[in-house]
Amino acid sequence: MISARRKNRGQQTSDSGGDPVSVSIAEVQARQLVCVTGKVTRMTARPTSGQPALAVTVTDESGTVTAVWTGRRSIGGITLGRRVAIKGMAIQRGAHLEFTNPSYTLLPR
Amino acid sequence: MKVIIAGAGSVGRYMAEQLQSSGHDVTLIDNQVGIVNNRPKDSKRGVTWYLGDACEVATLEAVGAADADVVAAVTGDDEDNLVVSLLSKQEFAVPRVVARVNNPKNEWMFNDMWGVDVSVSTPHLLTGLVEEAVTVGSFVRLLSLEGGKARLAEVTLATNSPAIGKEVLDLGLPRESTVVAVLRGGHVVVPRADTVLHAGDEVLVLVTGGAEDDVRKALVG
Repeated sequence: MISARRKNRGQQTSDSGGDPVSVSIAEVQARQLVCVTGKVTRMTARPTSGQPALAVTVTDESGTVTAVWTGRRSIGGITLGRRVAIKGMAIQRGAHLEFTNPSYTLLPR
Repeated sequence: MKVIIAGAGSVGRYMAEQLQSSGHDVTLIDNQVGIVNNRPKDSKRGVTWYLGDACEVATLEAVGAADADVVAAVTGDDEDNLVVSLLSKQEFAVPRVVARVNNPKNEWMFNDMWGVDVSVSTPHLLTGLVEEAVTVGSFVRLLSLEGGKARLAEVTLATNSPAIGKEVLDLGLPRESTVVAVLRGGHVVVPRADTVLHAGDEVLVLVTGGAEDDVRKALVG
């Protein structure tokens, strides 16, 4: 489930930190390459007309974070209650953090 | 501030020069060997040049997009500008992504879907300015002085303007503003307290601080 682009990242020497660090959701900080694991607790397909985007809220015992995938209204396998791992760099949007088009892995229930 | 500029054409180079001279840390990316090799000799100080394709994550990573404050995608190609914007936002969560729109038909795509925070479209901008300039009865900012603290503005008085038939003294302009000239039928009238305003007059006003709204109210309505 990891895209080719993300796979390559590990081989590059980079300023952005190479491999993502696994953290709890409460520990996520803006602009750090991280990996979080949690359950999908909310899914919103926004706007129904115009350019679509799927916003998914992932929750673990420490908090919640939102991942937004642009250009689609659904992702196969991502359903409410599903456990997923999200990898990417979060961005500050007002008071909360958001991932844009992160890579994801579906985990066994 | 750390600024990365994708596209070292005339726009990119000009921006780099300006930003660098105001003390910012600027990196210019271009994928044409000729452009990068023929960079001006005096550009050694301040501006970092990088030969590479800004549409690739590896390039952005190499120039340090991960801790950049601003990425400006100003190539002459809208597709490239969109890709740079998307990657900057998605891979590096750059707080401010500025993109140049070359073809106004593409402007609708330059939004947060593609990671663009601010889009700049020259044709669109020009239309706006022309539109403002030919409209009677609207408040047009001509130039700003002292970094925007004072502005010279112009209003062509429409027939329904509340200022028609009034003397300048009676306009009730705030203390932070003053009428500096009235253009009437090709002549410049130096305004006195008792100068009476007519429809069609172009009134030039010097406005400081937040007085703009009151001036607008007095002259436009």
